[in-house]
Amino acid sequence: MAASPMDQFVTLSSALTGIASGILAPGIDPIDIKQTYFDTAQQADPTVFGQLLTIVANNSTLPPQQLADLVLQQSGDDVRFLARAIMLAWYLGNWYDPGDLKLYAGPNPPPTPIAFRVITMNAYTKGFAWSVAQAHPMGFSTNIFGYWSAAPPSLTDYIGSGA
Amino acid sequence: MSQSQTQVFDAVIVGAGISGAMIAWQLGLKGKRVLIMEAGDPLPPNVNDYMQRFYLATAKVPEIPYTPALMDSTGLVDPGTMNAPRPTVLTLGDNWKDPKQAYLDQVGKLPFASTYERVSGGTMRHWLGTSLRFVPHDFTMKTTYGRLVDWPIGYNELERWYGDAEHAIGVSANKADQAYHGIAFPPDYNYPMPQIPLSLVDQAVAAKVDGMELDGEALTVTSTPAGRNSQPYDNRRVCAGNTNCIPICPIQAKYDPSVTLNKALDTGNVVIWGNTVASNVAVDGTGQVRQIDYIQYATAGGPATARGCVTAKVFILAAHAIETPKLLLMSKNEGRTPNGVANSSDLVGRNLMDHPIYLAWAQMPQPVFGYRGPLSTAGIETLRDGIFRKDRAAFRIEIGNEGWNFPIGDPYTTVMDLINGGNVSRLNPGGKALSGQALTSAMNAALSRQFRLGFLVEQSPEPGNRVTLSDRVDHLGLPRPRVTYDISDYTKQGFVAAKRAADAIFAKLGAKQFTAVAPGPAQFTFEGETFGYFGAGHIVGTYRMGGNKTDSVVDANQRSWDHPNLYLVGSGTFPTVATGNPTLTIAALALRTADAILASGL
Repeated sequence: MAASPMDQFVTLSSALTGIASGILAPGIDPIDIKQTYFDTAQQADPTVFGQLLTIVANNSTLPPQQLADLVLQQSGDDVRFLARAIMLAWYLGNWYDPGDLKLYAGPNPPPTPIAFRVITMNAYTKGFAWSVAQAHPMGFSTNIFGYWSAAPPSLTDYIGSGA
Repeated sequence: MSQSQTQVFDAVIVGAGISGAMIAWQLGLKGKRVLIMEAGDPLPPNVNDYMQRFYLATAKVPEIPYTPALMDSTGLVDPGTMNAPRPTVLTLGDNWKDPKQAYLDQVGKLPFASTYERVSGGTMRHWLGTSLRFVPHDFTMKTTYGRLVDWPIGYNELERWYGDAEHAIGVSANKADQAYHGIAFPPDYNYPMPQIPLSLVDQAVAAKVDGMELDGEALTVTSTPAGRNSQPYDNRRVCAGNTNCIPICPIQAKYDPSVTLNKALDTGNVVIWGNTVASNVAVDGTGQVRQIDYIQYATAGGPATARGCVTAKVFILAAHAIETPKLLLMSKNEGRTPNGVANSSDLVGRNLMDHPIYLAWAQMPQPVFGYRGPLSTAGIETLRDGIFRKDRAAFRIEIGNEGWNFPIGDPYTTVMDLINGGNVSRLNPGGKALSGQALTSAMNAALSRQFRLGFLVEQSPEPGNRVTLSDRVDHLGLPRPRVTYDISDYTKQGFVAAKRAADAIFAKLGAKQFTAVAPGPAQFTFEGETFGYFGAGHIVGTYRMGGNKTDSVVDANQRSWDHPNLYLVGSGTFPTVATGNPTLTIAALALRTADAILASGL
């Protein structure tokens, strides 16, 4: 059976972010943040989003890092910066316009901070930057009193392995 | 019909922050009928709206959860269109003099960098929770070191109320850790709760720094007394380490004045009128305050809905150290108080102070796992006092648990650098854009080793640093505060020493320093070095207490020298900003003033 567009999106997201698919899209997933990001990216640029999923579909046997490299380095600016916007969504819960990302990645970035929006409250509290820091989103801890005085679980516990 | 015509009050309090809450609670317990007028919104039923605003905000600054909303879809809301506007750190950049963005009319050499709230609960809605006592020499700077001024009361006189305030707030601390530089406790005294455990960052700093010396004082890392629960206390749960004390604790494990406001309401003798802006303090021919005039509104930018006045026996202005002097200066009484109420000394509005912060940040050689636990759990207090205070400002050092969130807005900045190939954080010098496991490895290495130190420098009182009235107005037509601010050489010498301390500490830790001066107006050059500074949110000094009516605005009970039934409370009465965060002393003084008001026969 061919992978669904959502499966392709998760495969792509995992390859790009380095976070395991099962962490990005757990089996029991009441918040379903992947759907939020899928919809946000698709609405931002339906054509390029379709290209992204096609790249995944056509390269289903590639190891994750090669898939990421193909998307980010060999598929043109439109694909590259939409992919980066998706990565930033997963990590920060924010949406950055791919065109802005291109502008700020260039040799003469604007002096003002890049514009963005917080996608949803759940997007904020599901931001994976905090997981990679072996921490939690500021203002959203599920830990218990005193946890901060002992070492956190391993990075693998937060982001899985074999992305 | 205005509400004042139907109710009679013993006391009217302007401002529903910590001082107003504590005094209302104490008076209410004794059966006194109390009205609190709050310029901003009334108490919400819970913090859900605040949390929603915080989660969705693109700029998660201290003021952002609270009302009125600072931003709309087009950016910062023009303070001239709001009925109870307030300052924000978002107007400390190139826009610091833009009247369409900045509420304060800043005309000084440097920007005053601290902000405050106008909402039920007050500025302590976003306090850190630090509940330090002042050290005895903080009260005797002139006598001990020949610098600054003395307070009219000392540590020993205030000690009892420090204990009361620690129990009213709910402070977690270790008494043995707090006994330094002459701070003493009664033998049978205990803090309400045990200390908050030290973070991994604290432990790493202590392991190397304890025993170092600077300017004749040993450096020692100690747990910080905190107004956050280490045990269930006062019907509130224990801290879960949300790392978000500023701007908001999502579970109210950190005390905020809504706790005491609710206790005041529970006495059955206290009422709070929200959206009620005090506009005039009316004094009669005998020098007694007779009434306070107010303007009410229904929505943040809507029209005035009522105007009225309210009488009482005693009046207490608790609107913090910028709005209180503003209200006093606005109140001219048809020429009977041409310089404003309570201002025969001409000291109302003067000696505005803060703890300007020298912020230093570095990466440890090993992971220390910031972004975990309360924002700060320990500090170095041993540099708060010493003979060096003859020559330069003292400071305390706060150890941060939030990585580089304060210095550079991380993790956002570094994550953007690593994904989009920048180097704003200076942690991605090659400017390479990463993905996959290379990305997670680099991100983990960058974020897990970050930490920062904040040096809270004691600013000297200077009469020229002052609050006056601007010709700019808010939406009700009331003047906005005009602020003139600068930093003295004595204070700047404190920054020089702070930098020296930071450099020595980072060297001892083997940490790689990244401290830099951000662009913007909050910086100065001194002895060849450029320093950036931040506000601590500690607004102090504009109606100082003292020993007589020529050298001060209020006496040691925070009672106006000019008007015997008028009390001015809050950190505006501090003659010096001292070396500790001000809240505990504000609360102790408020409780002491409540006792004085009751003893005066109210």
